Amino acid sequence: MTRAMVVHAHPCDESFSAALFGRTVETLGARGWQVDSCSLYQEQFQPVLSAAERRGYHDMDGNTGPVQAYVDRVTAAEALVLVFPVWNFGYPAILKGFLDRVFLPGVSFVLDGGRVRGNLRSIRRLAAVTTYGGDRLRATLVGDPPRRSVMRHLRAVTHPRARARYLALYDMNRADADRRAAFLSRVERSMERL
Amino acid sequence: MRALVIYCHPSSQSFTAAVRDVVVDKLRKAGAATEVIDLYAEGFDARLSPEEWACYIDGPKADCPRMPHIDALKAADTLIFVYPTWWYGMPAVLKGWLDRVLLPDVAFHLPPDGPITPGLRHIKRLGVFTTCGASWWLTRFIGAPGRRTLLRGLRLLCARRTRTAFCAHYSMDASTADSRARHLRRVAVSMDRLIGRPRDGAAETAPARA
Repeated sequence: MTRAMVVHAHPCDESFSAALFGRTVETLGARGWQVDSCSLYQEQFQPVLSAAERRGYHDMDGNTGPVQAYVDRVTAAEALVLVFPVWNFGYPAILKGFLDRVFLPGVSFVLDGGRVRGNLRSIRRLAAVTTYGGDRLRATLVGDPPRRSVMRHLRAVTHPRARARYLALYDMNRADADRRAAFLSRVERSMERL
Repeated sequence: MRALVIYCHPSSQSFTAAVRDVVVDKLRKAGAATEVIDLYAEGFDARLSPEEWACYIDGPKADCPRMPHIDALKAADTLIFVYPTWWYGMPAVLKGWLDRVLLPDVAFHLPPDGPITPGLRHIKRLGVFTTCGASWWLTRFIGAPGRRTLLRGLRLLCARRTRTAFCAHYSMDASTADSRARHLRRVAVSMDRLIGRPRDGAAETAPARA
């Protein structure tokens, strides 16, 4: 059975983001994925990389110590799905910290003679499910940093032939029930085909 | 000039701390009232809590624990970020500062029937000083999300003619004493450009074009 890790980053259970997370986990489970659902807020993930972690960052024998359980979950996954709201044109801090602390040298990448090489070869499916307060034009003007981060950067450390998809609902502040429902179904259809 | 410097690095002996010192020195010499917020030293919690989210839309209340930061931001005309780039973006604690301090009614307004409008029109200078483990090429290929979040996303909320500065030491893992010293000189020059004459006065001194 194939494992999918679904990472969620929103503080509130009643949020639309939580509904997206629920639908994602449910759909993947129904399609036969073995789902590892990881809600960073519920697990009280501490996102701040400490001074000690920074000093030991490049020590590939010991750097995973403080976050070993998360490293094991990421490396066991064949699909990685991130469900988060875009805040200030970026990931919520708790998700950014997940990358800072867990995606370490030796885990997600290796430095090979000064060059960075992706190391999450087991991940063959990558997806992001997200919502933006601003509209698409505004996000595009800014250069849509979270889209780039997922589609270029995370994509670059997964399997070379990994398939990546980015599902976004823009202009969330003014989205009515119909648009939200349509987006939920879009996420469901996409996860069915993952 | 009133400057707010947001500094973020876990180690006080880091190169990033040296960059901050150059920035602060330049500001003080220019006579700017300068406040430095050291997010790691303060133990700033990066996580926006469920309680904060529940009343997010209402903007900060008078007894909000982050009021000192909010007041410093409101009083500033110059905003400078000094941080290491991790994963092509700012460290989580700095992203958390944006999440928890750039609130509705502070950084932007959410009219009920229109798009987001800016709230930081008083910020006229925006500086970003960072270090990147990756090379210039790789950072550009990924699209420099951290730089975009600040110099475009945050820039949209500032004054229309905000002057910006960006200075990064790339390939930090292969840096040498020389490259670091050179970078500190670049930071100094970049600061001079940022806090020199305001742009409004620039037309008077610019040479006339034939």
